[in-house]
Amino acid sequence: MIRNLYVLYGIIVLGTLAMAEYRGWSLSSVDEVKNVPRSVRDNPGSYRSVYGYYHHYTGGK
Amino acid sequence: MSASGPNPPGTPQVKALNCPGCGAALTLRSFSQAVTVVCDHCHSILDAQDPRLTILQKFKADVDEYPPLIPLGTRGTIRGAAYEVVGFQRRTIHVDGIPYSWHEYVLFNPYKGFRYLTEYNGHWNDTSILRSLPTVNNDVSPATVTYLGGNYKLFQTAKAGTSFVLGEFPWQVRVGEDSDVSDYVSPPRVISSERTGKEITWSMGEYIAGRDIWKAFSLQGNPPEPVGVYENQPSPLSADTTALWLAFVGFLVALVVMFIAFESSARKEQVIQGFYSFNTNVRGEASFVTDVFQLKGHTSDLELTTTSDVSNNWIYLNYALINQDTGQAYDFGREVSYYYGYDSDGSWTEGGPTDSVAIPSVPPGSYYLRVEPESNFGHGTISYSISAKRDVPQASFFGLALLALLVPAGLITWRSMNFEHLRWAESDYAPADSNDDDTDNPDKPISLGNIFGKGSDS
Repeated sequence: MIRNLYVLYGIIVLGTLAMAEYRGWSLSSVDEVKNVPRSVRDNPGSYRSVYGYYHHYTGGK
Repeated sequence: MSASGPNPPGTPQVKALNCPGCGAALTLRSFSQAVTVVCDHCHSILDAQDPRLTILQKFKADVDEYPPLIPLGTRGTIRGAAYEVVGFQRRTIHVDGIPYSWHEYVLFNPYKGFRYLTEYNGHWNDTSILRSLPTVNNDVSPATVTYLGGNYKLFQTAKAGTSFVLGEFPWQVRVGEDSDVSDYVSPPRVISSERTGKEITWSMGEYIAGRDIWKAFSLQGNPPEPVGVYENQPSPLSADTTALWLAFVGFLVALVVMFIAFESSARKEQVIQGFYSFNTNVRGEASFVTDVFQLKGHTSDLELTTTSDVSNNWIYLNYALINQDTGQAYDFGREVSYYYGYDSDGSWTEGGPTDSVAIPSVPPGSYYLRVEPESNFGHGTISYSISAKRDVPQASFFGLALLALLVPAGLITWRSMNFEHLRWAESDYAPADSNDDDTDNPDKPISLGNIFGKGSDS
């Protein structure tokens, strides 16, 4: 019984893995933005990333 | 097992007698098979082989003596044969001065003979006397016995006394009689030896659920709930553990095959590579866009790698991967920082010159990157490169899948091992790390629940 459940679970895990690899899933997070104007290509400064201008770690001991 | 009908074939006839001690009516259910019979009124143990029913012993029963869970005379079917409960006894051992008792029921079938049920704290065994001798091996510790190809490990040895009897017995039962008993276990079975004087009786018990006994004897209510782990109680998981690990090995092989397949079939197509510099001494708009590049094939990831020559410094890049045709953008930021130095602990480094990120599930199309670098002002020019590859397998998912497969197998194995640990913690041969700290607990599971008086068939 437990073995059968485990086999089913394992098939789901491997199936999910295959789907993740095929569809290119990633653990990284990105923000999707829709309808970015075409003018950005000519004027890159007109677009501001949501990730811009946060306080950066300046590193070192 | 199942409940018997009212008049099953082979149903024993009852013989009516009177106790010579008190005159009370006696019921003899097993005929000439009974060696002793107990009067339940005056608690005289009588010689059932003697027509005059000579009194062999009289004992004083406790006032609060509770009746058998399966009343004498109850009939049921075990392993396809009808049996009647004809006798009942309580056996007791003392551990550190504390008495532990279990109960034994004598069952009789006129064609099959006697068999027994034992009960301790809700744990039941269906037991019969062995017809041939097992082979004992005392050269190993704990000792083992071999019987019909099965190997049984010695679990416990103790001196057990008979403390209460009722009904009929196929041996000369006596209250107060002691015997040396040993249990050898191989769940769900247990082989017990019982030595009284020069006579040794061997029996084999098989663990049976209380609900099955209740069903077999059509008993009212529910059986007592089992307490703790019993000496030959089968682990609910042990049978599955080996099968589980076999399945795990199968999945591991599948995982390796999948890894090789994805690695060899992935496009890993480099779609862009550029070298850039960022002058931190100049204020003003630093953002720029790359050339348009094509992402082909099915929806897949895009692995973007940033490499920089930062030295005790950092560079942060605001990225936007923008689909030229649809205006769909993927915003993300990556930092490359590298620090190093020397202090009282020696040399140290922090960070590194390279960073990689996989942008998930990017549909095919024409894309460009908007890049906006940031860093500390006035640290000169920082050089960096950006490269991107399409359809790169993510090894981290294989690691997660391995973990996901390993955890349930490991947990079930741990639970199975814990079950065995609890079993053997009650043994004379408990592993050194077993913490048998419940010695004073009268509810603790004891062994020796499968021990009989002298069997008539021995």
